[in-house]
Amino acid sequence: METIKKIFILLGSLDRRIIFLIVGLSVLIPLIQPEWVNFPIRPTPESQIVFDEINKLNAGDKILLSFEYGPSTKPEIHPMAIAILKHLYAKNIQVYGFALWPDGNFMSTEAFSEVSDDYDKKYGVDYVNLGYKPGGEAVIKGIASDIRTLYPVDLQGTSINDIPMMKDVVNIEDFDFVFSLSAGFPGSKEWVQYACDPKNIPLSTGCTSIQVTDIMPYVENDQIRGILAGMPGAAEYESLVEAELQKMEIAGKPGEASGMMAAQSIAHVVIVLFIIFGNISYFITRKKNRKG
Amino acid sequence: MLLKRQIPLMIVIGVGLLTLFGNFINNESIRDFVDNDATQWFDIIASFAIFLGALNMLKLQLIKIIKKQKNWQYSILAVAGFAFAIFAGFFYRGANFITIADIQDGQLAIVSGIIAEELNETNPYDIKTKIMGSQDEYEIDKLFMTEGNAKLLMEKLTPFVGVINLKSKPWGAHVQTKGSLFYWMFINMITPLGATMFALLAFFVASASYRAFRIRNFEATLLLVAGIILMLGRVPIGNLIPWWVVSIMVMFGIGAIAAPFIKERKILLGIVGGGIIIFIISGTIMGWNQTPPALLSIPIIQDWIFAFPAMAGSRALMIGIALGIVATSFRIIIGLDKSVLGG
Amino acid sequence: MITAEIMGAWLVVLLTLCIFSFLYKDNPFYKAAEHLYVGVSAGYVAVISFWQQVQPNLFGRLWPSRVEVDDGSILKSIWYAIYEIFNFISTGFGVLDRSIFPEGGIKGYDEIRMIYLIPFILGIFMLLRLVPKLGWLARWAIAYIVGMAAGLRFYGFLNSDILIQIKASAIDFTSDWGTIVNALILFIGTLTGLIYFFYSTEHKGVVGRLSRIGIYFLMIKFGASFGFAVMGRISLLIGRFNDLKDYSSSEYNYATPIILVFIIICLAIWSFMDGEKKNESTV
Repeated sequence: METIKKIFILLGSLDRRIIFLIVGLSVLIPLIQPEWVNFPIRPTPESQIVFDEINKLNAGDKILLSFEYGPSTKPEIHPMAIAILKHLYAKNIQVYGFALWPDGNFMSTEAFSEVSDDYDKKYGVDYVNLGYKPGGEAVIKGIASDIRTLYPVDLQGTSINDIPMMKDVVNIEDFDFVFSLSAGFPGSKEWVQYACDPKNIPLSTGCTSIQVTDIMPYVENDQIRGILAGMPGAAEYESLVEAELQKMEIAGKPGEASGMMAAQSIAHVVIVLFIIFGNISYFITRKKNRKG
Repeated sequence: MLLKRQIPLMIVIGVGLLTLFGNFINNESIRDFVDNDATQWFDIIASFAIFLGALNMLKLQLIKIIKKQKNWQYSILAVAGFAFAIFAGFFYRGANFITIADIQDGQLAIVSGIIAEELNETNPYDIKTKIMGSQDEYEIDKLFMTEGNAKLLMEKLTPFVGVINLKSKPWGAHVQTKGSLFYWMFINMITPLGATMFALLAFFVASASYRAFRIRNFEATLLLVAGIILMLGRVPIGNLIPWWVVSIMVMFGIGAIAAPFIKERKILLGIVGGGIIIFIISGTIMGWNQTPPALLSIPIIQDWIFAFPAMAGSRALMIGIALGIVATSFRIIIGLDKSVLGG
Repeated sequence: MITAEIMGAWLVVLLTLCIFSFLYKDNPFYKAAEHLYVGVSAGYVAVISFWQQVQPNLFGRLWPSRVEVDDGSILKSIWYAIYEIFNFISTGFGVLDRSIFPEGGIKGYDEIRMIYLIPFILGIFMLLRLVPKLGWLARWAIAYIVGMAAGLRFYGFLNSDILIQIKASAIDFTSDWGTIVNALILFIGTLTGLIYFFYSTEHKGVVGRLSRIGIYFLMIKFGASFGFAVMGRISLLIGRFNDLKDYSSSEYNYATPIILVFIIICLAIWSFMDGEKKNESTV
């Protein structure tokens, strides 16, 4: 018993570099050997709502897809973007890409180029990328009132008058759905406040884990319909889309996020164990100090 | 004083009132101005603010180099990085592409083969179809960062095509086109640097959890338990935690809550231990191994905590913050809060 | 053969491992990468803002394509002569090719909007912040931004974050008892949480007890936020490790292991020499 107590006291003063090493290994090993661990993915109610809302859309409907993330949050949100695009393309929904972050341009270009060819989608007919404008909520207000004034040309510099699918699009009220891929400000919150609530357009979002608790009140009362929470949310959506594509007999590539869930799970368990051991060590040390 | 304080204050009040009441005024010109032009002006001035930030950063780094302050050598890298980004944005476009037309008779297969090899595609037939389907000229689906690389391909194609041109994506579009120097810089410099800066935090979060996260009081316990349940319930491993582990955790939780009220340690231990044994025996009898009840499933508990108690806290925080923002915005619009103007 | 792709991969690995070297301790590799990031990202954002906003939406409105607007008037000719002067300056007095100001105006809009001289002038005022004697002019531009943001936020937050949230806290007593209990928890949690933030009265007696309950709900919320924060950071770490794993293959000439060994050796040498310097200075 005394030996165990001494071990825990020693653990309490562990050099933080050893902690870094353990965390690093707990992430690296499942990535290098994914076949060692394989966990089934359970969609949460919020992810299911997102999936159902998009599933309700019909061929020819218009969706505004906004890219508000950059390379620093790409591992969490880019897999969502890919899964969403697969779902939208499979249902022949017209996709209009926007970006409220400068990095969003590259993320959107990458996402579109990764998925569009697999589904034989043509630029200007099935999807269009209007790109980034600085200004945050002012840009959203501009989209809510008059897109054509704000975006005279698309990301490639083509006039929107020359793009077939931009013909009848004037403002946000011409869209059937808005989806925000959000990593911070400006993001889903601003879409709710300045466009979707005032104009009553349904909105859904995929965001970084750190924002989820701040966005949840909007989800609870349907201002935002469902939420994809971080990389686990992306993995859940990928599993739902994969099942749907199989039903539609469309071949697809496996999603990125699902393959990383093993690493995520192991890392979480390691951190929980750290917290428990840290507290045990704290109590033992405190008791020892009181006795002394 | 008039120019430095009163006029900016009048601008704040005027623009603030116009923006606010623009939501309610039904006049077309005012609505049009508020919804379109005013927001465009905001965007444009915000862009100039970005330029100001960049120039300010440059000024500070240059001062550091000139005055040889501490670690001035690293500031050279900051200035060089900035200069490289400006060079890639304004002086060197890249994003070169080749267009071909008037392919000689019988040479279409050869041309398709050369292009397929360049694009690393196994089937030249798709390219042949695209060339045949193009109206005036066919744009080869590859962008070259340098003209030299593009010219290597052009030399291979020239004997077989009548018209071959080397073009560049227009200025402006080049900043997000694959194959431009700017795009290369984004993918190979900004992406890894930004992503890794954020990824570093994972290690520090783990270290902080281990060294600083202590159950000192009931509130800290609540925070810890909620955090742990969420971390385990949100990932697939949460599904695999068996019901009896959860029941042990529940009994420990009951013991922790009851501990201040039960002074005798043996009685407390008896309650916790006895509870665990009763849980496990009854669960085994009732077949919980095959169909565990929802209340003993971490993901379900996590869903409930997330949807109700945590939601209540989030909502309270949201309303509180919103009240603060509304009050501050109102103070700014009526000119009470002059701190934003630097005074 | 060393292609731009392989060079790029090696640069990605080098920069990633330089940042990760901070886990050992603050060192020259990390400082170098950090400063490079500061410079490149400042330039990047400036370039994007210029090409995506200023050039098409400001210059494009002041000098749209001449084909759309030219009616032969002298004033328009003078106006476009100013355009050519700007172009002359931006091309280094004619040395470089046209870029910012293409031939014959900027495509996009079909009428000249002189009113956009106002944001142009305010934008210049913003930049004058760098000049000590004229820095006060930036207040005019900041005043516009602040006024507009205040006006936008007032309505946005009042509607979406207060009124709708309060409305959503209402309890539907006609539903089943499980839903009512959950709705009561939401309502009590929201109310007591807000009472906790009410500092105009001392937290004693009933108010004290209610704010105590509010703290409990807030602690649960913060616990959930902590859990999500950990989840988010681990996800980003997984993303980086995934990239490093991809770049360790023969396709990229084993970039990751080679650069990792190089950095470890350099850090060991630097650490040793740094330790010796510290010993000398204490002596």
